[in-house]
Amino acid sequence: MARLIRTEKEVEGRFEEVWIVVEEDPLEQWPEGPLEVVGRPAPRKDGPERVRGEARYTADLRLPGMLQAAVLRSPHAHAKVRRIDLAPALALPGVRAAIGPGEAHGLEEEAGFAGAAVAAVAADTFAQARAAVKAIDVEWEELEVVLDPDDAVKREQLTAEPRTYERGDVDKAFADADVVVEGTYRTQTVLHNSMETHQAICEWQGDTLHVYISTQFIWGIRQAVAQTLDLPEDKVRVVCEFMGGGFGSKNGPDEYTFVAAELAKRTGRPVRCALTRREENTSAGNRNATIQRLRAGARGDGTIVAFEGEFRNSVGWSGWNASTEGPMRMLYDCENVRSVTYGAKLNTPPMKAFRAPGFVEGTFGLECLVDELAAKLDVDPLELRRRNYAASNEGTPFSSKNLEDCYRMAEPHWERRHEVRSRSDAVWKRGVGMASQIWYGGGGPPSYAWVRLGSDGRATVITAMQDIGTGTRTAMAQIAAEELGIPLEHVDVALGDSARGPYASISAGSSTLPSMGPAVRAAAADAREQVEDIAEQRGLPADTPLQEIVAVLEESQILGKGARGPNPTGMSVLTFGVHVVEVAVDVETGEVNVERVAAIHDVGRIVNPLGASSQVEGGVIQGIGHTLSEERLLDPESGRILTTSLDSYRMPTIADVPEIICEFVDRPDEHLTNLGSKGLGEPPIVPIAAAIANAIRDATGAEVHELPISREEMLRALREAEERAREKEKRGAPAAV
Amino acid sequence: MELLRPSSLEELDGGLLLHGGTEVVPLLREGLLETERLVDVRGVVPRGVDGAVIGAGTTLAELEVEPAIPDALREACRLAASPQLRSMGSLGGNLLQATRCWYWRLGYDCRLHGGDRCHARDGEHREHAIFANEFCASAHPSDVAAALVALGARVRTNQRELAVEELYRLPDEGNRSTTTLESGELLLEIELPPAGASVYLKAMDRKRWAFPQVGVAVARHEDGSPRIALAGVAPIPWRIEGVDDLDAATPLPRTEWKVPLARALVRRALAALA
Repeated sequence: MARLIRTEKEVEGRFEEVWIVVEEDPLEQWPEGPLEVVGRPAPRKDGPERVRGEARYTADLRLPGMLQAAVLRSPHAHAKVRRIDLAPALALPGVRAAIGPGEAHGLEEEAGFAGAAVAAVAADTFAQARAAVKAIDVEWEELEVVLDPDDAVKREQLTAEPRTYERGDVDKAFADADVVVEGTYRTQTVLHNSMETHQAICEWQGDTLHVYISTQFIWGIRQAVAQTLDLPEDKVRVVCEFMGGGFGSKNGPDEYTFVAAELAKRTGRPVRCALTRREENTSAGNRNATIQRLRAGARGDGTIVAFEGEFRNSVGWSGWNASTEGPMRMLYDCENVRSVTYGAKLNTPPMKAFRAPGFVEGTFGLECLVDELAAKLDVDPLELRRRNYAASNEGTPFSSKNLEDCYRMAEPHWERRHEVRSRSDAVWKRGVGMASQIWYGGGGPPSYAWVRLGSDGRATVITAMQDIGTGTRTAMAQIAAEELGIPLEHVDVALGDSARGPYASISAGSSTLPSMGPAVRAAAADAREQVEDIAEQRGLPADTPLQEIVAVLEESQILGKGARGPNPTGMSVLTFGVHVVEVAVDVETGEVNVERVAAIHDVGRIVNPLGASSQVEGGVIQGIGHTLSEERLLDPESGRILTTSLDSYRMPTIADVPEIICEFVDRPDEHLTNLGSKGLGEPPIVPIAAAIANAIRDATGAEVHELPISREEMLRALREAEERAREKEKRGAPAAV
Repeated sequence: MELLRPSSLEELDGGLLLHGGTEVVPLLREGLLETERLVDVRGVVPRGVDGAVIGAGTTLAELEVEPAIPDALREACRLAASPQLRSMGSLGGNLLQATRCWYWRLGYDCRLHGGDRCHARDGEHREHAIFANEFCASAHPSDVAAALVALGARVRTNQRELAVEELYRLPDEGNRSTTTLESGELLLEIELPPAGASVYLKAMDRKRWAFPQVGVAVARHEDGSPRIALAGVAPIPWRIEGVDDLDAATPLPRTEWKVPLARALVRRALAALA
């Protein structure tokens, strides 16, 4: 039975109160451990299709009569269009339409960052569209540019009121603490740089708008486009069969969708608006830079008594103030915590969600600080983390938390540090570091799925969700196969089209599996129950295989439907983990080699161990890029972005990838849905930066406080450590005679 | 735009020359080069290794597995770019590639583009030069050029023969070019003098597919003396006599880190040949 509830909905660490209709979730969870299909490694169902180039991404689509759009973007970090003339563009060959500020959502007169969209052209070819964009005559009025977050905070130029948090008596706790450590940590701006750039094709058929788009949220696009264009939602169809990466940057429609829709309307033709790689680097979102001024206090026995943090997020021209303070509030059992988080409004491209936004940055600062505390207390870093284990989330019980199991599983990796260090020589210093992970990932309702079962005993899962490349089709098929008791090969998954299936969750916030998996299982169970009815009516024994039972159905089909039940009330659903990293540092040249990463995560039941390992590997590799080589750079004077290509914006190559060991607690969360699974998309990128930095300290004594840990930063930290050691020696040396 | 594919040097008649296209095509796409006539010179530039003579059309991928060339050159080829780029990119093209300075690549009106200021000097210059950076702070990106300069290689063009080192010049007010190449001049062959052991060391910000932060080539010559050339430290490949010459570096605030890095690599390279 459906019931109406008011509930807190969480996506990417942001909460809102919503009314939703949820259906009961009466199915009992499966027993712990590998089952027939679920819990066993399954290669991707769509792997062959993808590697053969048959999978159709939005970028592959060519509709009959389709036009190509190009966008005029502001060359200035802050400027206003005083006058714009589209006529020279319209006069060029192949040009079919041109629109300016105010003529499509997202085309604006005031450009708040270099790369902001101002006007757009549709032409027969992309080259013609691009040439036409260049011909647009614009007179700009340049405005004052603010690029420095400290400057913005000082002027109170913020995206929202500063967010403050306080529990306990922080001042008293610091006054009473035996040991206090403090530090300033900085993280850089990094880019998603999705392989498939942001893009949409829009086509009007009658009064219905068809939107083919590379997206993480089919239904969010449907809603946002309908609202913006004042259409009934059913008049917007959204299609995304395969997509090439989003990492949080493709949750909404953005200007390219509205440009395509408007130009399609004006020309009566399908219009494709696809960002170039350069635009992907300037106008598709980013993980914002942060400055974190942190302080921790502890008693001599290693009990952490106080945390304090001032966080400055370089949000950009728009965007939201991510929870950089979240890990400090939630990871440890600490009675006294105070934080303030500023979102600096700057003339830089807007941030967007990027794989655990806020927590990636905040965990770097916090977990480096905790290791500095461990050093000062002379306590083993793993032991210090255990001593300050949080039993609840600020008083709210966890639906499940097995971080202590992660720590136990980390022990053999942590024990290697003596042997690893002993392999150091005069040039290459080796060491081991660790960092813990906390993040969301519980998903939630609403989400629906249907299961269609034919007389051949084959089933199709139907739901209008998207597969953002995480192995969704495979995991959903595994769940249905398990519930139906049929082989995995007999289950197909039809997804990617809002006109062909029920509402499905966003694929962000590590929510795909925990939101969709239970709905798919419920739908499969509904079908299975109908099959059992039929078996009973035919007088077949209870263990008759499904295929035999349905064989007599001929054209009849069994249709099961299922919905995602509610999250447990009064509980915090969170994911946990720990990384143990081994590094080697060339102390003469500042080269850092990450040699081995053991990633241990607690995300409830693992549906596909192979897919889960891939997720962890991807997160670790992306995290290594964030830690060591990636940084979007701006010209400090003009605010223009300097790193706009894949050779200047340096993501890791396969040669940068270390040995990665993935381990899972793999214990279902008994309070969470019929599946007991949480999401794994984001957790593996959360702790890697701090674990690498802590390993560097273990290897060399150098304290890195900035990401990326470039050679410049590494050589600076090494020099500082050397000076510190020399000072200490001088102080400790016997008086001269 | 027309594309010509001449089969003899005599047919050459203006236009923009390209070989593998790994440099020219992106520059055309960005509008930094413009032409109505593109000339594919693969039919006229020698390719392959013949004793001490290497065709300028030999790809880096061919050279990185060539046992008959000095270690420094082979290693410089192996550590350059990515396998895809090395399969297309030619030795001659590599020597003539333009700087990776982001201001130049984005078309800022900088000194190399004929303007009156070096934006990198006052702006974002963490990857830039530590020597000869007063007029233009760009850093020369070619690993191969540093190796060939250290090896004392000579180059034959369709007009003259000169030392590889003489192919390069520092840009100045009157002439913004970083090469001495004349219009219509085409690199044909590289000739390597007899040399002893050689080595190329390269610091990158990731393990592969990156231009040199600092590249150090050292070759021991017949008289026993080492000859050192650096990549990534000046607008052109940069010769130094010994590690002490690095004391004379004039780094910008954010390129100071390159000095100790270069020192460490030069010492290491010299030690490797000792």
